[in-house]
Amino acid sequence: MEIKLKCSCGESNCREWAIIELQGVVEVQPAFQDRIQNLQIGLLCRTSSQETYTFTVGYHELSGSKIPLKKPLLVLKKNIIKSDMEIDQNDDQIDSSRVELEVIGIIRQRILFKTRPKALISEPQPAVKEKVSASCRVVAK
Amino acid sequence: MEKTESCCTKGAEAVLNVSPNSSIPISYHPLFGPHDDILLLELDEKLLPDVINQRVSLRGEPNEDAVLCTKSKTYAVKFVGTSNSVFLVPPSDQFAITESPPVASVIKVAPGTMEIVEIAPKIDKLKTLLSKNPYRYDEDDEMHDSGLYQWDDLVNRVQASDDELKSALRVLSAVEINGYWRIVDDKYMDQVLKTLINNSILSDWSLSSLDENTVVESLVEEGYSREIAHHCLEVYGSKTSENVWEMDNKRVCVHFARRILFVNGKMKTESFMEEWISKVPGGMVASLDMLEGEVLMENLGIQSWVYAFSVFSLPSDPANRFSRLFQERSKWDWKDLHPYIRDLSVPGLTSDGLLLKYTRRTQPTADAEPVFTAR
Repeated sequence: MEIKLKCSCGESNCREWAIIELQGVVEVQPAFQDRIQNLQIGLLCRTSSQETYTFTVGYHELSGSKIPLKKPLLVLKKNIIKSDMEIDQNDDQIDSSRVELEVIGIIRQRILFKTRPKALISEPQPAVKEKVSASCRVVAK
Repeated sequence: MEKTESCCTKGAEAVLNVSPNSSIPISYHPLFGPHDDILLLELDEKLLPDVINQRVSLRGEPNEDAVLCTKSKTYAVKFVGTSNSVFLVPPSDQFAITESPPVASVIKVAPGTMEIVEIAPKIDKLKTLLSKNPYRYDEDDEMHDSGLYQWDDLVNRVQASDDELKSALRVLSAVEINGYWRIVDDKYMDQVLKTLINNSILSDWSLSSLDENTVVESLVEEGYSREIAHHCLEVYGSKTSENVWEMDNKRVCVHFARRILFVNGKMKTESFMEEWISKVPGGMVASLDMLEGEVLMENLGIQSWVYAFSVFSLPSDPANRFSRLFQERSKWDWKDLHPYIRDLSVPGLTSDGLLLKYTRRTQPTADAEPVFTAR
């Protein structure tokens, strides 16, 4: 079967997505496990110097920087096309030929935090609602 | 999706454009989830125009590993996992929902990316498919729906780019008949070619300057289809100018050599040459060096023998090719080996690299011919 890569971006008009990448996993506190949507993970802060960032998650602070990707990443979405397909002689082919991949974005840079988290002694940023900011923590691997 | 930029930046735009000394909150998206239908594909910058112009597709049957094809090349697709947390933040106008969304939010955590590596097209399958039902003379009497492939059927089944598929069809001397790509039974082609040569002798045409219409019509009169008549010119000749064809000395001679060895099996070289020279049409010159990659010769005692061993019948991936070659002969010298490996193409590997990988090279003395054995 053939799955076409569909792209409606047109010349140089692909929507750029962002990546925030960190080592380890962010663990949501058990109380929030089932209502993770809209939950704040942390605060991304760009420091004064060029393209260096901190990411504050709960009581942890990560530092990192924005790095261009060597090769761009395409964001693809798998679409199942429901419309009637012409009937193929080969039965096993019908299901698979209804799939198409659509390019919905491109990623050219990522903000990478590759250091181990630093524990913040004091309370996290007061501007952030405490219950939310305290609801995540970084678990280094 | 194509809404104009709103006043305050949100989504990916916000993440990518944080001003110095400021910060933005990062949240889980209201639609955060596994989103298995969102994939990341790493692609070389130079392939982007192909993607944008929609010339890229994934090919393969459900039981095969998918490959990515551009117009001219084939790439293997590999999933590369990561243990990092890769938070994906879409632009604000994608996955937008009615309620006021958080500033920048993560739609999914990507478990890894797909990467591509250029590979040789999987042409063997094309050979297998087309060999199942070659075009024969008496075909019209039978039902011939099964085992026939149109261009789209081939694209769906063979993991190769369009250009590679087209060139493979040319190499296989395939022809499109009634919309289906076919290889023509060798014996049938033999008849067509002999009829063509016969007609040209009878009508006193020169084989180096054949008028296309005259030749095709003469074959049609003998009961061959127009497509087959034309195909015969394509396979054994070349167009020298509009409507004028020249039969190719080498291709015609090789054809007759193959037929002789097909019928007789292994032959004494002497008697083979005798028969061969008698079979090729007048004006054409047969010589053994034409048969590189078509026949192997061996010496038994003082007698030299020749038998058919065509490179086209061998697997096209290097590992299987070398294994088949060493099954045929445990030792090869370079002169014999070269015709059987020169068509192998492995992206990123030179022919020396191939030899290094699949053979052991021995050279008894510095000026002796190297000998290749299996690794």
